[in-house]
Amino acid sequence: MPEALSAAQPASFQAKSRRLTRGEALVGLMLNLPAGIAYFLMLLLPSLATILLAFTDYELGALEWGWIGIANFEEMLEDRGFAIALRNTVIYVGLVTPLSILLGLGAALLIEAGMRGRALFRAVFFLPVVSLTVAMAAAWQYLLHPTIGPLNAFLRLVGVTAPPFWLSSSDWVLLSLGAIGVWENVGYNMVLFLAGLSAIPRELYQAAEVDGTKSWIDRFRLVTWPMLGPTTLFVLTITMIRSIRVFDTVAVLTQGGPNKASEVLLHTMYKEGFTFLRLGYSAAITLVFLLMVLGLVWLQTKALDKRVHYG
Amino acid sequence: MAERGPKSLWADVPRLLVLGFLALLLLMPYIWMISASVKPLDELFRASLNLWPERFHGIENYAKVFSQIPVFGYLWNGIVVCAGILFFQLLFAIPAAYALAKLRFPGRDLALGLVMLGLLVPPHVPALPLYLAFSKIGLLNTYAALILPFTISVFAIFLFRQFFKALPDELVHAARLDGIGEFEIVWRVILPNAWPAATAFAIFSVVAHWNDLFWPLIVIEGQARATPALGVLYFRSDEAGDDFAALMAAAVIMTLPLVLAFLFAQRRFVEGIATTGLKG
Amino acid sequence: MMPKPLNLRRRSLVGIAFGALAAPALRAQPNVEITVHYAQPHVFRESKEAVAAAFSRHEPGIRINWVTTPNYDEGTQLILRQAVAGTQADLTYQGLNRLRVLAERGICQDLTPFLNRESNPASQGYSETILGLGRTAGMQAGLAYAVSTMITYMNLDVLRDVGVDARTFPTNWDGVLDLAARIARLPNAPDPIYYDIGEWAWSALLYGHGGQYMSGDERRFLMDTPQGLAAMRLYQRILREGRMPNLNTPAAQQAFGAGRIGVRFGSTAFLRNVMQSVGQNFPLATTIMPVIDAERGRLQVGGSAGMLLTRDPVKQEAAWKFLRFSTSAEGTALMVQNTGYVPCNQLAVDDPRWLGEFYRANPLFSAAMRQLPLTVAWYAFPGTNGVRISQTISDNLQRLVEARATPEQVVQDMQREVTRLLPRAS
Repeated sequence: MPEALSAAQPASFQAKSRRLTRGEALVGLMLNLPAGIAYFLMLLLPSLATILLAFTDYELGALEWGWIGIANFEEMLEDRGFAIALRNTVIYVGLVTPLSILLGLGAALLIEAGMRGRALFRAVFFLPVVSLTVAMAAAWQYLLHPTIGPLNAFLRLVGVTAPPFWLSSSDWVLLSLGAIGVWENVGYNMVLFLAGLSAIPRELYQAAEVDGTKSWIDRFRLVTWPMLGPTTLFVLTITMIRSIRVFDTVAVLTQGGPNKASEVLLHTMYKEGFTFLRLGYSAAITLVFLLMVLGLVWLQTKALDKRVHYG
Repeated sequence: MAERGPKSLWADVPRLLVLGFLALLLLMPYIWMISASVKPLDELFRASLNLWPERFHGIENYAKVFSQIPVFGYLWNGIVVCAGILFFQLLFAIPAAYALAKLRFPGRDLALGLVMLGLLVPPHVPALPLYLAFSKIGLLNTYAALILPFTISVFAIFLFRQFFKALPDELVHAARLDGIGEFEIVWRVILPNAWPAATAFAIFSVVAHWNDLFWPLIVIEGQARATPALGVLYFRSDEAGDDFAALMAAAVIMTLPLVLAFLFAQRRFVEGIATTGLKG
Repeated sequence: MMPKPLNLRRRSLVGIAFGALAAPALRAQPNVEITVHYAQPHVFRESKEAVAAAFSRHEPGIRINWVTTPNYDEGTQLILRQAVAGTQADLTYQGLNRLRVLAERGICQDLTPFLNRESNPASQGYSETILGLGRTAGMQAGLAYAVSTMITYMNLDVLRDVGVDARTFPTNWDGVLDLAARIARLPNAPDPIYYDIGEWAWSALLYGHGGQYMSGDERRFLMDTPQGLAAMRLYQRILREGRMPNLNTPAAQQAFGAGRIGVRFGSTAFLRNVMQSVGQNFPLATTIMPVIDAERGRLQVGGSAGMLLTRDPVKQEAAWKFLRFSTSAEGTALMVQNTGYVPCNQLAVDDPRWLGEFYRANPLFSAAMRQLPLTVAWYAFPGTNGVRISQTISDNLQRLVEARATPEQVVQDMQREVTRLLPRAS
């Protein structure tokens, strides 16, 4: 770092460092320029426009519309649909995040534990991530079909007399969507954990062995898990963000039904804006959604960053 | 996990069994999808699970897809759009990430904050104003409309910054002492070293945009610039029911390139992620 | 299309000479191009292209660019978005209950002057009923192109096991529910009956009782009425006595094709799809819905109508010609043969030249057509919450399906919630 250097170097070098710093600042700004312009035009400005819309009663194609202050937010407080969507999103995130992380970690550990079939299993586990939800919808409809689908046929075989109506019962639909969400995310997390595992230096394991750790569990507890700390934090953040943004499966499989039992925040936002054409209200929901996500990430970073061991 | 030399097959069996079972579970929808794409409609939904059709209908189903939608046109559009998006994403993100990682300049912390903020904004938020802007300047239904909004990838900046922070400073200092200008440093020194991370990111980017349904649905009308996801959507209908057999065939066709690309690149992909410095 | 001579007359002498020199060049101008939008391409594409091909024989100078959307809702959104930008299609086929939204925002043209130019619309098959389907917001907003109604799909194998065939199928709901009980007692019984989920399908019960959604002055929601309550109680009976499984419509479609549902009450729009998914699995038959009130019972239609959007006079002419042709006897005959929808042209239905032979050869398609005299327009709620109201009704019906409320509670809650969504009486 320039300061450290300048403390020990002759004056000419210090002068060069100062020039370098000024030049460096200019270069730094220039390198950021293209990205900055794109960010401004494609992300910041439109998002601000949408946020402004949150304070209006604009509807698509409306002939007249105007500023209504916080009326949208007041409506949100009383909107039963919004409250349900909020609750469902929290439940969904609570289901998908731990399960997909655990399974992803487990898969990564199993794959790394041996030499055979690594490439094959890696590819197979990642395939769900690559899938197109619109295409998979019919497959899920059939596999989870209450009366003619294989899952329930299997359940009846092992003695369950009245297997659940996975996608059409208010009690089970969120769980089913959560399971599909885990399916979609396992491969993603597995790959991230694989990368994290491969970055753990072998010497640490050798050192642990020298120190007398024999069993697999101890190795995991003393070396693997701590060294995976940053990776796990990253995976946790990414998975929570991905699952809070759930939209495709809901839009394609259940459309928020039955009776709002699978309604989630982004789907409500979409429905309000594009189906009911109430773009102002939809923008208000978006704003609340953004604030929630920000809060979540901030909380998590504060709580966990301290406990993560950086190598 | 520690490497202890190749395990005997016998000792490996439990691991392989568990992995195999999980793999089968994960593959079920795909297997069914392929099996459904070669069945006639009346065999698709039977109470018993038969993977091979009684009457092989694959030719008819796939022929129907090819006759109803210009399949190669859709695939080509997918390639152009994904390649275009990736190109611009790398072009914008790599210099920015390098600057954020290695250089000091006023507003750097603000820029970092904006990047983190950008990660959280779902694509639906800027969608409508962007649509209105594009239609005002007559850019609807073009490659530009499909590519431009995604040229800024804060995820790319984030990923590459992680990676560059792990690069040794000496590399850059040596280049500076050699008299190479700052901009040249980016393209001659940094980029070649960024290749693993770029491969990793490429997979994330291509997967996300090949399968994107929401944005093309808004900005594309007609078939000239339609993307693969729209091709599958063609066979859906609420009022009259989906054409399941053709839908599955279309799904297989539109998913296949992506699967093949991933199979081809997957080793580089995992290595690439490892180098992005998830150690922090 | 040739430019009118009126333009030439306005010019000066030099201009006339110039124009005379230019006239041959003007005559060689390219044809008119119109952009036509419709929904559900995998259902309607063949019929639309057949109509376009037949049309080009009458009017070779008009070229058509097609724009499609998967469903009606996306179609409405598309037109609304395009209208904001001023780039909307020239002609669009919208869901019948969406005509009102576009009409009230001044996006479509009133077709009455165009119709008045025709010598006698009724003689070309545009009966009062059919024209009524496209009337809203005080104008002829569209011409109905293809409509659907609820019909009965029967699995003849299952029915045979309880001693019933297509001709002896019960004609009222008591009979149907009794049949359901008998089916449920079969060994390895399939689910006896299934009634499509959702507000549109259920409305057949309300309208079948002689009820309707809103009062004539559109002030009051009419769920909390004798007809509304009767319809809700009948629905309850269908769910319980009919032992209807809690499937969503795609799942029911799949189960019916697999032979695991005895009788399905659903839209005729699904007909082609049902025929294909039944295939060789069992013999299929269709018939009209069970009759509730023979005199006052009605059926709400589904389906689409063509709306004229463009204001450019040249394109208007061309688009009107295509719209008129597509809804003519010839056009709708082509449409019916390629889909399961009902033609919106009385001539096409009556005149044996067009469809008489078709219906004789394909009796499955005639169920919906026979109910055409009973049809009423697909109602669009006033105000801006139409779609939301529809959703509210569907959500409340779901409570009954899952046995979480009584019919009376559902009627009360629905009345309250929908009234809140309607525009305040000013």
